[in-house]
Amino acid sequence: MGLLEVQNLEVTFPTRRGDLVALRDVSFSVEAGERLGIVGESGAGKSVAAFAILNLVSRPGYISSGKILFEGTDLSKLNPQEMRHIRGNRISMIFQDPMMTMNPVLTVGVQMTEALHAHREISAEKARSLAIQTLARVHIPSPEKRFDQFPHELSGGMRQRVVIATSLLTEPSLIIADEPTTALDVTIQAEIMDLLLELCELSQVGLILITHDLGVISQVTQHAIVMYAGRVVESGPIREMVQNAQHPYTRGLISALPQQTTPGKRLNQIPGVMPSLTNIPNGCAFHPRCELVMDNCQTRFPEFKIKGKKRVACHAVDADMLNGHSNPGQDEV
Amino acid sequence: MNQRMNTLVQVDQLYKEFPVNSGFLEQLSLTGGHLHLRQESVKAINGVDLEIIKGEALCLVGESGCGKSTVARVIMGLNKPTSGTVYYEGQRIDHLSSGKMMPFRRRMQMIFQNPYASLNPRMTIRKILEEPIRFHNPGIARSEVLERVGEVMESVGVDPSWGERFPHEFSGGQRQRISIARALTVDPEFIVADEPISALDVSIQAQVLNLMMEAREKHSLTYLFITHDLSVVEHFGTRVAVMYLGALCEVAPTKKLFSFPRHPYTRALLSAIPRLDEARPNYIKLRGEVVTPINLPQGCVFQTRCSFVNARCKEEPPKLQDTGDGVCVACHAVEEQRLQA
Repeated sequence: MGLLEVQNLEVTFPTRRGDLVALRDVSFSVEAGERLGIVGESGAGKSVAAFAILNLVSRPGYISSGKILFEGTDLSKLNPQEMRHIRGNRISMIFQDPMMTMNPVLTVGVQMTEALHAHREISAEKARSLAIQTLARVHIPSPEKRFDQFPHELSGGMRQRVVIATSLLTEPSLIIADEPTTALDVTIQAEIMDLLLELCELSQVGLILITHDLGVISQVTQHAIVMYAGRVVESGPIREMVQNAQHPYTRGLISALPQQTTPGKRLNQIPGVMPSLTNIPNGCAFHPRCELVMDNCQTRFPEFKIKGKKRVACHAVDADMLNGHSNPGQDEV
Repeated sequence: MNQRMNTLVQVDQLYKEFPVNSGFLEQLSLTGGHLHLRQESVKAINGVDLEIIKGEALCLVGESGCGKSTVARVIMGLNKPTSGTVYYEGQRIDHLSSGKMMPFRRRMQMIFQNPYASLNPRMTIRKILEEPIRFHNPGIARSEVLERVGEVMESVGVDPSWGERFPHEFSGGQRQRISIARALTVDPEFIVADEPISALDVSIQAQVLNLMMEAREKHSLTYLFITHDLSVVEHFGTRVAVMYLGALCEVAPTKKLFSFPRHPYTRALLSAIPRLDEARPNYIKLRGEVVTPINLPQGCVFQTRCSFVNARCKEEPPKLQDTGDGVCVACHAVEEQRLQA
């Protein structure tokens, strides 16, 4: 039994013009101490998946089918009160912009201990010392001083450390980080990622890292799932994924990175854009942008097939058309 | 060789300060029983010397808040420098009135970061693209304007029949193409692009970068490309200038910078690029606090985070020095050969 097991999750947003299905048949699992990456472009449904786990899908959206098993309990069946014992306690979340997630008129200390008081019977004094200990754990220099400071007195990287420290206070077994370093500089990003790695390894916390940056995913996580238009298209161990991607979309994403091309040469580009939820193409949603498109791609979403250690949903992979295309999308130069 | 010596833009000893407390009462402070007037300011640029050569794609990189965008804005004449000079093809342009600046504005164009904010939501694409043509060519025939707009739209891969649509009908990548088209309508020679792809998705970034590289060849453009994404720099730039807290630390041809970075900050920056191939980051950790640009330390601005710091670094700011092979570095440790290669 894994720590978290998401099975055939579907999230629907009812609108006047019919239901929008933001997530369709999404399944993945995280073991204790394991790090999972969710990759995809904006609109792929990465964040909706994260919010669904915490039962935070904004109304009128709702989980229309599927199971979210966390330590054996199905989170989608819990009532709001029961969910509050899990959210921020057993599962913590770290958001993108630490400037937006911290309250600017409260000190670091007040915000940190608030999280503790919400979930534990604990004296103010104990909460304070625990918060200061945790600040030291995320390598914040002079934590006693930082405890009484306001968010604006800290740099961006320091703020994100405080957010991470806050998420650790209740000793969660799973942390969901939604683009935690997108607002930060590269040198700070490297530090924060290092910190997350260290914490996960030390305390066996599971991590779900959501990002569009394949480089970050490849350095931090062990497994990854690639999402496109609300569906998982490929999943598997990260090394396999980077070195031997199967799905044309994954391949396109990897080969579009400037570091994969000789400097100055044309980059491999995926033509077109991700479809909006209001008109997802029939069959495989990627088919209008795919160069290996076949007849049944336009009518039927492909079944997941096991390829080595990976699961891939692609008709072209099934038909083994990829063999002749070791570098799909490569322009003749 | 003669062509390469051709300087398009030259920036000499540029300084730019933004006052933080401009009001009289804000400046008033009480120290030791006496009232003082004290003006505080953010020192955004501190003595930048930069040369942009015709036909190159110079990338300006650095952390957020290090002054990259301010340099670009001062070169474009959108901000007046506090001191220092900007030359465009040998003519000084930083002190020109907006009327005298006009002919230069046609020759230098800017592409902004966020295509959601830089296109007027109430104008159609055709109007957005026509405006600069009409503005810079008063009295131009209507048919000619339309023809030029059509040409430019086609060259950036936007269907000319979409001219009557509004910006909100386009995706981010298409909008950035339209911004590029707008810059190209007046046939400029120099384009300043301020983080043009950082608001876009990975697969769209590749499309826009390809377009910018094509345009460079087709219109023989010179670029000043501002970014914080180093893998883009490696791919796109011919030369790189690395900035830290308003000062340049290293200027070098791209290949040389990536194969042998010299300045300690450049080294840390390059080591922090998330690569696909390495399983675990092995990056250089920068210690210490970033100083605020309001109270800059004496000496080198990087001293608080540098592990090679000595007494001289704390007193004397390093100057950008040519090491002989086109690489300029501003670092005492490099100069004194205290750094291991």
